[in-house]
This record gives sequence, structure tokens and C-alpha cells, in this order.
Amino acid sequence: MKQLPTESAADWGVALCHVCGLASPLRAGHCSRCDSRLHLRNRDSLQRTWAFTIASLLLYFPANMLPILRVESFYGTQSSTILTGVIQFWDEGDYPVAIIIFVASVVIPILKIIAIVWLCFAATKGWQPRQMTRLYRVTEFVGRWSMVDVFVVAILVGVVQLGSTISIHPGAGAVSFAAVVVLTMLAAMSFDPRLIWDAAAARAQQGGHQH
Amino acid sequence: MQSTSPTQPLVCHDCDALLAAPQLQDGEKAICPRCVGVIVSRGRNSLQRTAAFAMASAVLFAVANSFPFLTMRAGFRESQMLLWESATGLGAGGYPALAAAVAIFIIAAPALLIGGLLYIVMPLLWGRRLPGTVALCRWVFRARRWDMTEVFLLSVLVSLMKLGSLAELTLGTSFWALVALIVCLTAAVASLHPRDLWARIEEARP
Ligand SMILES: [Zn+2]
Ligand SMILES: [Zn+2]
Repeated sequence: MKQLPTESAADWGVALCHVCGLASPLRAGHCSRCDSRLHLRNRDSLQRTWAFTIASLLLYFPANMLPILRVESFYGTQSSTILTGVIQFWDEGDYPVAIIIFVASVVIPILKIIAIVWLCFAATKGWQPRQMTRLYRVTEFVGRWSMVDVFVVAILVGVVQLGSTISIHPGAGAVSFAAVVVLTMLAAMSFDPRLIWDAAAARAQQGGHQH
Repeated sequence: MQSTSPTQPLVCHDCDALLAAPQLQDGEKAICPRCVGVIVSRGRNSLQRTAAFAMASAVLFAVANSFPFLTMRAGFRESQMLLWESATGLGAGGYPALAAAVAIFIIAAPALLIGGLLYIVMPLLWGRRLPGTVALCRWVFRARRWDMTEVFLLSVLVSLMKLGSLAELTLGTSFWALVALIVCLTAAVASLHPRDLWARIEEARP
């Protein structure tokens, strides 16, 4: 076998097993090593990615507008959203914490959604495959940090529940928020970066025919 | 089972480039010429390292789930929270789905990861393969994505700042075990090189 960096395994009918990483002929149907079904690309990759991304975008708004936390004390009841939590830390002078929460909860989810939409277009148009593959790798691992505020709610509720003068209750915003994070993770997992390379190769071939 | 010969082609996971498999020395990795990602890597004593770190992780996981995680003192009252009570509190607060999600991210996923690694790797050290090894590999690599203990750790620090004005909080034994667990589990996964692992699974006797 010659080393042909521009050649796709798919062009040779070779499929990569998504479980064990063995390259096998597609016509074998199943991986000879681990018996997983062989596919050239993730099934319905773009449809699934779009569906998860749109769902997460819709939930992004209630996640940021509904209260994630309700604190009851003898001063009364106080609800807080993610943004009021950030503002509170900022006013108290805890700038690093305010910035961490703002980046993890507000900036990362929306950037991740934009990145996935961009990747979906790149996979259709074949834009800059190398840069887009790098974007995909970053997108895949950064999203989990958005779970920070949901865990803060979990810890506060857990530690304060045991009979004290204040009580803390989770809010609907926390559920929406966790859903946003899970949905963007599922969107990134459904996305198949090889589609960008396929589209780029198709575009290059088309350009070649025209000249 | 068909064995993986050195002439077997190599396919990049991210860009589908078809390449001739390179001859790698221990500790080396090959970069894909097309998408510049790591395409394949080889470890040094990969299985031994994974087994050692997974065993340490199992002990730390047990400690993290049996001792108090946080102690809160407000006035004369003192309350202690166990790690899993951060999930059950949400359930009691009327959000069972959220409680289940948190339990998966900080308890079930790491447990599956640690247990799976031990079940797969320990027998391989003696050239044996337990039933279900191949199916379990699928689940172990999946569990890796959903283990969010390191994010949880950051949340603990944020919570300390948040409650600092209301009550006095002390970190318990479980917290420090969780810190060590994150280090050990990261090392266990980092020592695991898929190609080495699958080669050993193929060689192993059932
Ligand atoms: Zn396979
Ligand atoms: Zn590649």
C-alpha cells in the first residue's frame, strides 16, 4: 500500500471500526475483531447533529432566564438565575469566580452551539477541513465545563438541606441547563468530521473538472 | 479471529485518510499527515500502568463514597454531606431527572470506568480474557465522556465561595479522595493506548 495522504479509506471501500479502530473492507459487514457493525460514516450524522443543536439552542433561553436556585431564610425568599449569581460574585469583589461562572455557563454553551452549526455548514460545503477538524476536537472536550453551575446547585442543596435556618431548593433553570449541556455533548458526538473532508474532496474534484 | 499484521492499513478516525501503518517504538505516536491529529500511539508498559492506576482509583472511589464530603457549621448546628447526597438532595427537591443525571456524572460513570478497566485489563496481564471483554470496551470508552468529576471539583470551590458568608464549611476526607481519584483515573485512561489494548485482547486466551 502506498502512502497517499489525500486518499480517503471510503474510496477504497475500507471502513474504520468505531469501537476497536480496525480497518476492514466494508463488504464484510461486521468488524472481524470485535463484531461491531461497519459504517463508512456515522449514521444520519448531520440530521442528528442539527436536531440536538436546535433543541439545545431552544433550551438555552429558559436555562438562562429561569431561576436555578431558590433560597429561603428568615429574610424571605430569594431566587437567582445564572446571571444574577455572576453579578452577585462580581459585586462582592470575587472577580475570578464571577468570570469562571460567566465563561462556563454563558459563553461556552453559546460558542459551542455556534461552532457546531458552523461545522454542519462546513460538512456540507467542504470549508477548510484542517481548521474545522481542529475546531471539532476543541468543541468536543470543552462543553462539559458548562455543568459547573448545575453541580453548584446540587452541592448547595445537598449540604444545606439538613435542617438549618436557611433552605435551598433547585429551580427549573438548572434542569434546562443540564439539558443544554447534555444535548450539545450529544450533538458533538453525532457529528462526523470525515464529512468535511468528503465535501472538500468533492469540491476539489468539481473544480478540477471545470478547468 | 484475524490478527493485525504490520501491513494492515491504518485509517484516521477524524479525516478518513488511508495510510500504511507506521512502525512505532514504545512511547511514540504517529501524526496524521492530512488533519494533523494523533492517529495512533504506543505506550510504555501500558497495561501495567493502567492496571495500577485503576486499582488505586478503585480504593479512592470507595473512600470518596464512604466518608463525609463537606461539613457545614452554622451557629450550633453541624451537618455533614456525603458525596452522593449532592445528587439525592435534588431528588428530594422535586427534580429526580436532574438527580439521576448528577448521579451518572459523578458516581455511575466513574464507577463503570474503574470497574470496566479492572475487569478488562487485570486478566490481560496474565494473557487471559474474561467473557464480555469486547462488549465492555464499548461501554468503558463511552463512560469516559460522561465522567465529570473534575468539573464537580470546580463546583465545590465555587460553592465554598458562595456559602462562605453564611456558614463555615470544611472539606472532608471524601473531597481529598476525589481529588486523588481524578488524578489516578486520568492517568489510568492516559496510559491506555487503544491499539496496544486491542492487540493484547486478540492475543489473550478466553
Ligand atoms: Zn472492531
Ligand atoms: Zn487525519
